[in-house]
Amino acid sequence: MAIEWGIVLDLAGADRDPDTLVNLARQAESAGLDLVVLRGAPEHLHGLDPWTTAVWLAGRTKHIPIGVAPAATSSDPADPGQAYPSVVAKAHQSLDVLAGTRLVTAESAWVEAAPDAGAGQIRRLAEAGVPVVVPVRSGDDIDRLAALMAGEDRGSGRSAAVRARRREGIDYDGVPASLADVAIEPGDPAYRGVTSTYLRGGAPGLVLRPRTPAEVADALAFARRHTHLPLGLRSGGHGISGRSTNDGGLVIDVGALNGIEVLDERRRLVRIGPGATWKQVAAALDPYGWALGSGDYGGVGVGGLATAGGIGLLSRKHGLTIDRLRAVELVLADGTQVRASKEDNPDLFWAVRGAGANFGVATAFEFEVSEVGKVGWAQLVLVSGDLEKSLRRYGELASAAPRDTTVFLVTGRPRQGQSVIQLYAIVDHEDPDVIVERLTPFTELGALAQQQVALTSYKDVMALAADVGPDGHHGMGEPVSRSAFLPALTQDFARDAARLLRSGLVYFFELRGMGGAIADTPADETAFAHRTPAFQVTAMGSDQAGLNAAWDRLAGHFDGLYLSFDTDLRPQRLHDAFPPEVLSRLRELKRRYDPGNLFRDNFNIDPRMIEEHTR
Amino acid sequence: MTDYGHDLLFGLFVTPSARDAQHVLDVAATADRTGLDLVTFQDHPYQPAFLDTWTLLSYAAARTERVRLAGNVLSLPLRPPAVLARAAASLDVLSGGRFELGIGAGAFWDGIAAMGGRRLTASQGVDALREAVTIIRDLWDTDTRGGVRHEGRYYTMAGAKRGPKPAHDIQIWVGSYKPRMLALTGAVGDGWLPTVEYLPDGVASLPELNARIDEAAVAAGRQPAEVRRLLNVMNVRFSPTSRGLLSGPPQQWVEQLADLALSHGVTAVLVGGDDHTIAERYAAEVTPAVRELVARERGVTGPAR
Repeated sequence: MAIEWGIVLDLAGADRDPDTLVNLARQAESAGLDLVVLRGAPEHLHGLDPWTTAVWLAGRTKHIPIGVAPAATSSDPADPGQAYPSVVAKAHQSLDVLAGTRLVTAESAWVEAAPDAGAGQIRRLAEAGVPVVVPVRSGDDIDRLAALMAGEDRGSGRSAAVRARRREGIDYDGVPASLADVAIEPGDPAYRGVTSTYLRGGAPGLVLRPRTPAEVADALAFARRHTHLPLGLRSGGHGISGRSTNDGGLVIDVGALNGIEVLDERRRLVRIGPGATWKQVAAALDPYGWALGSGDYGGVGVGGLATAGGIGLLSRKHGLTIDRLRAVELVLADGTQVRASKEDNPDLFWAVRGAGANFGVATAFEFEVSEVGKVGWAQLVLVSGDLEKSLRRYGELASAAPRDTTVFLVTGRPRQGQSVIQLYAIVDHEDPDVIVERLTPFTELGALAQQQVALTSYKDVMALAADVGPDGHHGMGEPVSRSAFLPALTQDFARDAARLLRSGLVYFFELRGMGGAIADTPADETAFAHRTPAFQVTAMGSDQAGLNAAWDRLAGHFDGLYLSFDTDLRPQRLHDAFPPEVLSRLRELKRRYDPGNLFRDNFNIDPRMIEEHTR
Repeated sequence: MTDYGHDLLFGLFVTPSARDAQHVLDVAATADRTGLDLVTFQDHPYQPAFLDTWTLLSYAAARTERVRLAGNVLSLPLRPPAVLARAAASLDVLSGGRFELGIGAGAFWDGIAAMGGRRLTASQGVDALREAVTIIRDLWDTDTRGGVRHEGRYYTMAGAKRGPKPAHDIQIWVGSYKPRMLALTGAVGDGWLPTVEYLPDGVASLPELNARIDEAAVAAGRQPAEVRRLLNVMNVRFSPTSRGLLSGPPQQWVEQLADLALSHGVTAVLVGGDDHTIAERYAAEVTPAVRELVARERGVTGPAR
């Protein structure tokens, strides 16, 4: 049996001068021991403060974990002798930042043997599965332990400090061998870089990072043994409705499946992994004079968007992202690898294009991309004192614009009666005169405060997104967002939207112009069935209940919602995302492909529910 | 014109940024290597972007050899005084006498309350700090027999054991600006540690505020020179042309620092910027010349005492 070995240093000993403490800790580290435990004696004449000494020893050694019993805390401000719990928690986090995961604060994380314990006693105590620590007073004591240790099996893998951070209900030791070397758990150095997503903070219990479809199957086998925990699927980590981080659950991060490969240059057929970002895709296609419309931000990952829809800056000309999809490869809940296209598993191909998160983990997409040359890219900032009028006029112009022109509008809370309106537009045309002609009417929506118009490439528009560094995304908390499709931007909607913005409940409000090529695809061809709206509208606030109350009042203007942008978890939202016939067909397919409901995070279609809306 | 005659100390006033933790440690190491006297860190536990300052002080002390360290200043409302006294004495012992205690009555009360701390008025905060200084010094005083008892308005201790004993006479430097805090500083502090950017008229405020501290010291039966005058200067730069206090060529820094010492008694200046180059140039191009100039002006030869 493997044993982990440690020492106990007594901070109250009168002979414990600082140099002795450091020397013993360093000796234990170089002898390959697994833990140094500090035993404090609070309120002792010579007793050093355990926390300060733990930090000091962490600073004077390199990697050995340091165990220290949790400090007594109190929230009574009149007690000068106990620290505040909040400050102690922050101190622990700070040591992690400074020294890596070295700290073990749970006394249950080790078991203490007698100072003269022999191999037999240590072996018996080691059955508890935690390090066995022995009080030492001198270097000779450590030499004695090292000699005993030489005859025993050693623990391997993660240190006691890292294991002390593990979350409940996860079989960490059962992580499939294929994934073990790149799995990240809470005590690992890389953990801080995988906790957050773009708009959301989290603390997952385990992040699995498969590199191949077979490894995805292994990850799903592990997930099937953990259905009591949340399961997040992460591609780029940009999701708003999709919870690709969580608290104490599993995350399967397919970021490593990020290949981009041209399959057939004549047919413009391109194979793309779910972990690529749209910025990378645009950069790879640009040299061919091609582009594949995505959303409006290059940092978004392929997998999440390409299984939901993809309403973007090229959509009016080239359709939704899913409309360019010709085939997709998936790993199903039971681990089966399947291909879906018009020929193979056509039902699944239909379902993945709009409700993919319910059906599997996509491992590759094959798209027929478009020829796109230079495009006009515009960012306009306008100030309007009459938001209602500006919205109405935007609605008229964006709807009436030719297909080559897609204009998105963003605004926030009005200040002193003035609204700042930002417009983002692509004109898919190489002639600067045409670009200017297309955009000029939009400059009348308010007083033009800033304008940037450039003849550029779709690649450069996507490249505006910042790369995510090794420390990952930095989202905190939970985003609060609602979405809807607008059949038309009516005068009444403009009035109600302006009122909503004046209420201050919404800090981010976006209208995405639809129409054009989106409606060329018949509604029943994909599970994304909202082919005829004029706009997709998104509103973000800080309080879900407050935003829901205000948004629900606008329901009469809406026909459905875009599932990527809605964080409301009330069951009715599923019926907004999918019309009745679509939902009942999806439910039937869910029963076939994921009867155990493994994929349940984002707009879950529960296979066990009986359809309320039947024909 | 006041010069209290202390030796000169030069150091850094460092932002304890969690995101740039390695940089923070590297700047402390630069101060240690270049021979600066002090590395000090702000303490705002309620600021999520910052590290816990006590943990940072302890870790930075372990990773340096010579430089002295202090909080600048520690927030008493979230640092219960007996916990602080024992931790400070421990760090002093571990570091071989390299710790000094900068402390303040607390600011940003919303943040303090959010961390579970007690919200006090400015006036109550002064009284709580006075009690805290008494408790801290009593716990450090291991030569007196018996436990520490304290029956105050803000803190209660019923016979706590003394110790551990610090390795050296830890200086208590008080961050203060308003009359009652200045009076407390003069009465019980070993030093006064304000930030020049927060003084109403910058350096021009020093004579009046120094006088208040002197007055309080004398009223408490002490010598004004028992209170060292320190100063943070957050915004500093080396530049070819002069733009104000510690913003200009090195020679201008030298003259301004000598003037601070000789005219205002400011004998410890801690500069901001979190920058290696500033630290290196401060140590190499400024501090030796200031020591020399001040020594000459004080009419002694060799280094100041």
